[in-house]
Amino acid sequence: MSVISPSAFAPPVAVRAAANDTAGPVSTALREKVRRLERAHSIQRAGTAAVPTGLPAVDALLPDGGLLTGALHEVEAGAAPSGRVAAHDGAALGFAAHLLGRFAARTPGTLLWCRRPSGVFDAPPYAPALAAWFDPARLLVVTARRDEDVFWAMEEGLRCPGIAAVLGETRAAGATAGRRLSLAAEKSGVPALLLRSQPAPPQSVCVTRWRIASAPSRSTPGLHDIGAARWRLELRRNRFGAPSIADIPSWLVEWNDETHCLAVVPEALHGSPGPLFEERRFEERFFEERMVG
Amino acid sequence: MRLADARALMPDLVTASGEPQADRRLIETIAGWCDRYTPWVAIDPLGGALAEEGTEACSAGGFGGDAGLLLDVSGCAHLFGPDEAGERALLADLVGRLARHGFTCRAAMADTAGAAWALARYAERQADLFCPSHGQRDTLAALPVDGLRLTAPILETFVKLGLRRIGDLYPLPRAPLARRFGDLPLTRLDQALGAGGEVLEPRRPVPAFRTRLAFVEPIGRPEDIAAATSRLLAALCRQFEQAGVGARKLEIALYRVDGSVERTAIGTSRPNRDNPKLMKLFEEKLGELDPGFGVELMILAAPEVEAWSGTQDVLPEAGALAASLGSDGTVDLADRLALRLGAENMARLLPRDSHLPERAQVAARVSSRPAADGAWRRLATLKGARPTRLLQRPEPVDVTAFVPDDPPSVFHWRRHAHRIVRAEGPERIADEWWRPRPDGSRPPANAVPPVRDYYRVEDDDGGRFWLFRDGPYKLSANGQPTARWFLHGFCA
Repeated sequence: MSVISPSAFAPPVAVRAAANDTAGPVSTALREKVRRLERAHSIQRAGTAAVPTGLPAVDALLPDGGLLTGALHEVEAGAAPSGRVAAHDGAALGFAAHLLGRFAARTPGTLLWCRRPSGVFDAPPYAPALAAWFDPARLLVVTARRDEDVFWAMEEGLRCPGIAAVLGETRAAGATAGRRLSLAAEKSGVPALLLRSQPAPPQSVCVTRWRIASAPSRSTPGLHDIGAARWRLELRRNRFGAPSIADIPSWLVEWNDETHCLAVVPEALHGSPGPLFEERRFEERFFEERMVG
Repeated sequence: MRLADARALMPDLVTASGEPQADRRLIETIAGWCDRYTPWVAIDPLGGALAEEGTEACSAGGFGGDAGLLLDVSGCAHLFGPDEAGERALLADLVGRLARHGFTCRAAMADTAGAAWALARYAERQADLFCPSHGQRDTLAALPVDGLRLTAPILETFVKLGLRRIGDLYPLPRAPLARRFGDLPLTRLDQALGAGGEVLEPRRPVPAFRTRLAFVEPIGRPEDIAAATSRLLAALCRQFEQAGVGARKLEIALYRVDGSVERTAIGTSRPNRDNPKLMKLFEEKLGELDPGFGVELMILAAPEVEAWSGTQDVLPEAGALAASLGSDGTVDLADRLALRLGAENMARLLPRDSHLPERAQVAARVSSRPAADGAWRRLATLKGARPTRLLQRPEPVDVTAFVPDDPPSVFHWRRHAHRIVRAEGPERIADEWWRPRPDGSRPPANAVPPVRDYYRVEDDDGGRFWLFRDGPYKLSANGQPTARWFLHGFCA
């Protein structure tokens, strides 16, 4: 623990960039050493393992091919295609519930959900929909009046061996709170999730940070129905993970509510040709009619 | 006598207005302090200023004023000495301690509450204040009839008839007395003499399990208080084991040297008699207690106990094993969270068979049995698409729709316009006519239940919402649409 140099906390991409600049073999060896120290540090912990997200393309970038248990993961709502941040975090909640479901499937135990209600405008999680990801009977919902109490409840939950995963809904987690949660999670091997309804400047010490925005779904051609829910997924921080080509790896994913699986949508099909298609048809028809007239 | 008359007689009279509320608070405090002698402390319901609404005030003059406390010390006096000596010592201790705190009081002890009441107020000799067992008939005979806790009209008549002493009533035939004055004089007489029962209503519920620890020297350091709590807890847990129960609620009271009492309580979500676990819960709370200048007595009581249903006690050597055997620790976690955040802030979600979305999910207590395996999934498959977040109170939205019966094309919510691109619906959910309304009344049999038409909509940003129209589209008399639109949830 004490032998880790400060540089070990730098993101892997930066380490790589620095390594390329300077003399090759020494820094490669050093990098490998640091990496091993870090990994040893992360693997040593009780029951730390990686849980695949269910998206092969995403898992390829994550350490050990999945989300580390015994670590803090942040999920925050992002801006929609129009640049506006939605007033609700339906998509982020969906993705967080998906992650919670992956963690829940790994171990039996209670899922702790800590939140701070926001008065009369409060919108608590609704179990009949969450049942798609995990069994809400395992859920223990804790409400607190202050953010400190939310973090305290999360920490207590992380220290409890009977808890499968802890999720906290907050507005912003300070660096101290994030560090405390990380340490508590590392010690017990219980995964911690933070769900934020608004994007915030990166502060906390998490292993992965995700930004989720809802994306237009795809209707059945010719109809205006709502297709499977689509989310724009951004992996904004990936500690211990493999570096990716893109600066911020991003995927369009689709949640199928019938088969209960999450899949990456090929980007070529991104967008919804439905209305455009309809409009063109309409215009064409309109012109045709005028021509005939 | 009115105040003006009194002033006329004595011009330099010092006056102060009466404060019944403050009096009440003071007597409550003293009653709380008296818990050190017995858990069974009652505030005298007949005291004039303190009488509850509806009770009959009685003459309570004499020496004692009208405020009074009744203590049932049966089985408590042995702490001060054997038999009668202990009772006398308890009485002396009570009066002495109250005098040291600056209260003048007269305390009497007798077999019955009625006799003690009369003696405390009307006994003329100090020696009479302690009435030996079975001696109340002789001791009371010389006291005025005012000591019988009767109403003023009855007392006036007694005095007119020449019945001045309680002893004067002994030889009277009972039937004519009852015919003339009603049941009250005979009841009171029987209660005072011990022939009739009297129930004292304790101010606080009397706990069945209770331990106390008195200190020769007052203690004040937090560690000392924690150590004392631990000892009390160990003694109480032994009591629990003998009785086969576990605590649901524990209350600790610190009796400070300045006469005030500090109390705090912990609750557990299931019967518990595990000493270390309970101590851990107390550690959170002990910090809130202010020992002041010192604590001279601590009492730990269990106001709520339940039959012990927990796991079998394991051998002490198997300590490491016990943690894994007992349970997964979730119950202890729930206790700790409930202690700081309040038990009402912890919930387990239970499904309920209801069509109304807000009724389908119930937040139940943590101690309740969790939903059966797959119950939620079954419920989810029965219903249509549901939002991941449900607004506690549906929020009204302004809506523009091309065709009245269609889903809206634009809706305004929180000062934002959401242009709807896709929509699904309606899913019509009717009110459940078989349930009573929130106010308890039942809807009339032939009434059409209110319906809601739910639509799942997606705006041009991809945000998915759950909207409903309150009732079918209709126009009122002045051409305004009657149905309103609400936002009820957010979909993934």
